[in-house]
Parts: sequence; structure tokens; C-alpha cells
Amino acid sequence: MIERWALVSGLLGDLETYDLIQRDLKKTRGVTSLFVLGDLVGPERNCDALLDRLKNPHRGDLKPDCIYGWWEEQLLAERGFRGERKADALRLSQGEDAVNALLNTVNPSHLNWLASLQFGFIELDCALIHGSSSDVGDNLTSETSPLILLDRLTRLNVNRLFTARSTKQFHLELTGGGINSQVKDLNGKREQQQEVPKRSVIGIGAGVHYTLYDVGSDKTHFLTAGSKTNPKRKGFA
Amino acid sequence: MNHAIISCLHANLPAVEAVLNDIDRQGIKTITCLGDLVGYGPQPNEVVELIRKRGIATCQGCWDEDIIDGLNACECSYPSQLAERRGHLAHQWTDDQLTDENKSFLANLPTSLRRDRLLFVHGSPNSQHEYLLPDMDAFAALERVETAGADILFCGHTHQPYVRELRGGSIHVRLQNADHDSGQREELTLPMRKIVNAGSVGEPRHGTTNATYVIHNDATDEVEIKEVAYDVGRTCQAIVEAGLPKVFAWRLSHGFEFAEQAEDASHVCER
Ligand SMILES: [Zn+2]
Ligand SMILES: [Zn+2]
Repeated sequence: MIERWALVSGLLGDLETYDLIQRDLKKTRGVTSLFVLGDLVGPERNCDALLDRLKNPHRGDLKPDCIYGWWEEQLLAERGFRGERKADALRLSQGEDAVNALLNTVNPSHLNWLASLQFGFIELDCALIHGSSSDVGDNLTSETSPLILLDRLTRLNVNRLFTARSTKQFHLELTGGGINSQVKDLNGKREQQQEVPKRSVIGIGAGVHYTLYDVGSDKTHFLTAGSKTNPKRKGFA
Repeated sequence: MNHAIISCLHANLPAVEAVLNDIDRQGIKTITCLGDLVGYGPQPNEVVELIRKRGIATCQGCWDEDIIDGLNACECSYPSQLAERRGHLAHQWTDDQLTDENKSFLANLPTSLRRDRLLFVHGSPNSQHEYLLPDMDAFAALERVETAGADILFCGHTHQPYVRELRGGSIHVRLQNADHDSGQREELTLPMRKIVNAGSVGEPRHGTTNATYVIHNDATDEVEIKEVAYDVGRTCQAIVEAGLPKVFAWRLSHGFEFAEQAEDASHVCER
């Protein structure tokens, strides 16, 4: 079967947006998997209804495979699921009120399910992670140094990294280049030439902005739920 | 000006004394130590006190960290379970021996030191436990130096001294955004950077029993790897007398870690 993935993130408790995406996917041909790359929850609205829907899909819903993101990490840490660590990153960036707001948006009955979510998926030669293997909060964009992007790919030894943290949609392909390395030790000198591997980092967007990925042809389509965009036109070979 | 970089002293006093003598003989005044003052060897207090007395700028090694924080490192620090068990024994012994004052010295060491464009760390800028081996992926190696904002990165932890120059690098990319359909192409030229591994004074694993360290000239950027012979027998005897695992003495008298190489050098400890 030809695989076509839908990649979604940054719902932040917004069931309406999720519903819009599900409706979109019903009209889109050939979608085989739906991956939700974290940030299911957020501080702005009550998230319980969305979490219920993700855990118990409606009939006709494409079944979502979820991982946790930065907001879940903050929530779980504050709720004692991460050892000594608390929601330090959130507290530091947005203050105590934001931490309290987040705690109030998720019913504690969802915590065990959230805590059971994985950090990422490896599918074929692709990694699907909220940030990167370096950190769930690793904010990779198309402006991030390609050297760092290459490092994140190398750490996972994958050809494609799908990331969501930046909320941006982009497909950055490493197409060429190389580097010379000379090592001198007590046994002498040796030279080595290394080429840049053909790999890519794909930002999948957030909220209504989501991405379709055609696995066979390596094509990404950047979409906005509810708008009348033909996936073909946005294809990227 | 020449300055010397030493690492991985590992409580081996005769080796530390021999290396410091070698450095003094050359009239070198600035010495930087990349940590691992203790662990494996039989004279942890003596070595820490010598470094303190000489006022040598030091960053914290993996052993120095673990002695303070407890053995909470993930298994990535040890190449095998056998090595891990021996490591635990040495850890316990060292923990029992070290005075509170010396422990507090180790606890307060910084994880990195910076002088202009030179950065000094124990393992890598990411972690005291990450191995930067000489043959690791060249782009990943460059990324460590670049992201840390240094021109030359001095590290230890592998116990194998080397100088690695990364140059002539470039990365070509093609970018597609949601807003525009056609791929936009760019070419990034990478800067030349160096990684210098100081090897190990007290527990060399490069194939001979000699202690190693490096001398860097900050005007010419020339790096020299130095080997110093010392009384290995004296340390081996002290290891046995202290009741530490005999394999540590065996290893010192051979200069390499038998069948115990880190398996995944690119693994980053995420504890
Ligand atoms: Zn060491
Ligand atoms: Zn070490």
C-alpha cells in the first residue's frame, strides 16, 4: 500500500481545529496514518474534550498516533511525572500564572495516558518528534543552521526528521556539500573526506496548519484545515 | 605563548607529578586541567590537593561529577557491564577516601572554562559523559565546537590524545516553505575549527603506558601531543595495596582498555 501520512501538532486543546482536520482528511485521498506530534494540551482552553476524542476516536475518524510535546512535558513535570524536575522551562519563560493556567486546563484523570505517550516514533527511515532527539523543546526552523539540522539527523541516524516545536511549515533538504577532516595522533596523520548525506528536516506546522507526506515519492504538502487547497499544487518534489 | 592542557589524572600521583615536572621544565606557566582528577587510581586526595595547591584552572570531569552527585549517570559511561561493576567498586572506594574538603572542591568545579576563542570541557560542550572520539562524524564534531561558539575545543574523557582539524566544509540546502512553491537553494560555508583531545595523564589508553598531555601555542595555533614516562610500577603497586580491582593496574601497565571501547560514541547522555 502506498503510504500517505497526515502530521498534526499544536492543537493546544482545540477540539474544533482537530475536527476540521479530521473532516479534511476524510476528503483527502489515501491518508493511511495520522500522527499527532505533541502539544495536544496548552494553557489557553480546557483540553479535556480533545483528549477524550484522541483517546476514543469517533467512528470515521482516522485513528491518531500521539506523542508528547513541550506542553505535555511541562504539565507532566509539574504533576510529578518527571522525578525532581518541575515545569521549569515554562515557569522561566512565562511565569507562575502560566503554570497554574496549564494545570487547570487538563483533568488529572488524563495524566496517566499523557504520561504513557512516547517521545517520538521511528517509521521507516523517518523520525517523528516534537522537537528533536536533543530535546522536546528543540526549536528547529528553516533558519536553524544546517549544521545543527544535520547533527539532529545524525544523532537519530534517520533520513528525515519531522519536527513540530517551531510551529513552522518547511521542508529543508540537504542536497550536497562536504568537509575535510585531518586527525593527528601519536600514530601519525590521516585525512578523511566526508560528504553531506541526502537528508531532510520537515517542519509540520501547528493548529490548522498541518502536513501531508507521501512516503513513496518523498513529497510534502503544507495544508491549512478548512481551506480549499489542492494538495497536488503544493507538492514539493 | 605556549600553554599546557592536561586531563584525566585519575588519582595517579606519580603520573601527575611527572607531567607537571615536564611542563615546568619547559617554562610553561599556564596549565588547564579538563577534569577526572579521581577514579580508578589510588591517590585521589593527593592529586586533588596538588592541583589545588598549584592553583591549576580545572573543569569538572565525569568522575568528579559522579563522586558528588552519586552514580546517576546512565550506562553510556561504561562500555560494558563488567566495566560498570568495576567502575562502581572504584567509585565506592574513592568516595570513602576523599576528604569533605576535597569533595567540595570537586563539587564546585565549573563544567567548562573559556578563554577568548578557546573552550575547555571534559567530554563535550553537551555533557561530561559524551565521548568525542577522533573518528566521529565530522559534521557532528564541528557542530559541537560551532554551537559552543569556540574556535578550538579542548576535551579529554576518551583517554586518547588527538588533534582534529575540520576545514573546507560546506552544506547545500534546498528549502520549501508553505508560502512559496519553488525550492530555494542556498550554500553554507562552514568555518575551520579544531578539536584537541589532551589524552590522559593518569590512565592512558592510547597503546603505551606513557602519560599524555598537549601543548598549544595560542599565537600559531600549533598543537603538540606530549608523552611522558613515569614510574608505572609504583602506581600499580599502590592500586593493589589499596584493594582496588587488579585490572586497573593491568590496564595501566598496558596502556589500553582491553576490549572495552565505548560502543556508541555519539550517544548523548540525557539524564
Ligand atoms: Zn577520564
Ligand atoms: Zn571522563
